[in-house]
Amino acid sequence: MSTDISAEPRYQHGSMAEPSAAAKPPGLPNSSGSPRRRRPRAQVYHRIFISPSVLVLLVLAAYPLVFIASAALTRSSLGNPFQEFVGVANFQSAVGSPAVRDSLALGTGYAFGVAIASTILGSVTAVALWRSLHAGAFVRTVLLLPMIVPPVVVGILFGFIFSPSGGLLHTLIRRFTPGSGTYAVLSDTTWAIFGVALADVWEWTPLVVLLVFTALLGQQPEIIEAAQLDGASGYQMFRHITLPAVAGTIVAAFMIRLILAFKVFDLVYVMTSGGPGSSTQVPAFLIWRSALQNFDVGIAATITLLLAVVVTVVTIPVFLISKRLRND
Amino acid sequence: MTDTTNTTRAAQALTSRRFRTRLPTPGKPRPSLLANTWVGLSVVVVLVPLLYLLSISFMTQGQIASGILLPTQPAFSNWSNAWDSAIPRGVLNSLGAAFGGAILTLLLALPGAWAIARHRTGGKALAGLILSPWLLPPIVAIIPLLTLLRILGLTNTLEGLTLVYALINVPVAIWLLDGFIRRIPVEIEEAGRIDGANEGQLLLRVVTPMLAPALIAVGVIAAILNYNEFLFATFLTQSQDSQTVPVLLAGMLSERVQDFGRIAASSLIAVIPVFTVAVILQRYLIEGLTTGAVK
Repeated sequence: MSTDISAEPRYQHGSMAEPSAAAKPPGLPNSSGSPRRRRPRAQVYHRIFISPSVLVLLVLAAYPLVFIASAALTRSSLGNPFQEFVGVANFQSAVGSPAVRDSLALGTGYAFGVAIASTILGSVTAVALWRSLHAGAFVRTVLLLPMIVPPVVVGILFGFIFSPSGGLLHTLIRRFTPGSGTYAVLSDTTWAIFGVALADVWEWTPLVVLLVFTALLGQQPEIIEAAQLDGASGYQMFRHITLPAVAGTIVAAFMIRLILAFKVFDLVYVMTSGGPGSSTQVPAFLIWRSALQNFDVGIAATITLLLAVVVTVVTIPVFLISKRLRND
Repeated sequence: MTDTTNTTRAAQALTSRRFRTRLPTPGKPRPSLLANTWVGLSVVVVLVPLLYLLSISFMTQGQIASGILLPTQPAFSNWSNAWDSAIPRGVLNSLGAAFGGAILTLLLALPGAWAIARHRTGGKALAGLILSPWLLPPIVAIIPLLTLLRILGLTNTLEGLTLVYALINVPVAIWLLDGFIRRIPVEIEEAGRIDGANEGQLLLRVVTPMLAPALIAVGVIAAILNYNEFLFATFLTQSQDSQTVPVLLAGMLSERVQDFGRIAASSLIAVIPVFTVAVILQRYLIEGLTTGAVK
């Protein structure tokens, strides 16, 4: 059979492939007739099934992409987009603008800082939860709560905590070191972003805990038993059995966390409005401000494209690592 | 389900410590003081901010400014003020948009998720692209969505916001459902086909009932995301009586004189429904996040 095909040139190969592909799906010898007849109809159904998803992709991805690309190449205001073609002028002014560069750098640093902190704290907490006998359903429910608090409320809450007039942090510091100055974290150009980051870590670390904890529970007991019979110590067990088993999940959780942190908007809006100065002006906030406060959709679109490039460039290595870890 | 496995494992660990001192039970290492301490600390870190919010909601402005942490005389006025404001209506608006949007999302996403996961309809391109809208800040979709609502005449209405929520969660819902659909044995679908069901009947009568827990799980996640959503809600509900609760809360922060106590009470009123839903449906919520998000 194989010699036949190789003897004949491509020409025949093409005509052979058609019937063999169609004959393959039935597989079982006794059900050869009906599936072949039903196949085209099934495909029509499947195409109808995916049509809402395709529509959503057109509305949420394709149309915005075309709109953003066109807006980035033209002078565009919110009410009057695509006024005239300006080529790469928007890109030049965006790349040349310190505000944009600072914002992208801040956003990248923030995303990595917050994602790393969440992943480490979340993984440690998951392992602790796994090793703690006393953690019942109540504890697990409590540990998940921050994730479901509306981000606006998280922002309000941490705004109160950092408030210089009677906030929790201020009051506690005062109590232990009387006579010290005021601590207005969110009005400080250096510390404000850390205040926002703390709220962000508080809110989303539970997601990492949940994902890693589930992966820990899903380990195969046979492997652990085998390692114990071989005399592995507690540390060796953790290092060579447990950690490799959950490494893929940890990297995947890191990836999800990284993307969530790149998109942070609500917390900044509620806690600092991008200030003081522009010290907490993360990319999503800068895009919002450019498009809907300065009405310069052209620049907003350009910043969006630059952000897309940054997000893609930084997530691809993480994605590849996660894929490799899970295939191992 | 996790509950029972945990208790059995805990029981195994206990008995093993008593009877088989040399070998701890596989699957669960020995409990340690360090682990218990860390878990205890985590609970404190989670609860202290929430309890602080509760505490503030019972304090007058003067008490807050004086730097006390627990109210000496609880002031209930904050709660009655919050209850008499637009907040309760905002909560109802939020709940309506959240659940309406989540149900529509499931209707739109389930057929697509099944066709993509099982039949590779749309090929690798669709499977790979489906999550792409989730990667960027949602603000990029605001102009097309506004245009869509203008065409449909639904700007500044709760119906419009519900429709937007229905659309924006479809990618995440398909992504989360994928893990569940792959766990259904193919043989069951094959059996339905042999019995003469067409693909529509198969989806409706065979796949959907089997996915019921998954649909609840993904629906709850979508509803919580909708309930908490802020950016679209500010743009699409400018009119007073269609505003959702995050919009109202953010609005309270831009008032000239901020009444911390009333803001805290209002925030808690906003949080109560979502906490209730999450605690009641916790099993589904956890299942949805763990089966769907990491495969």
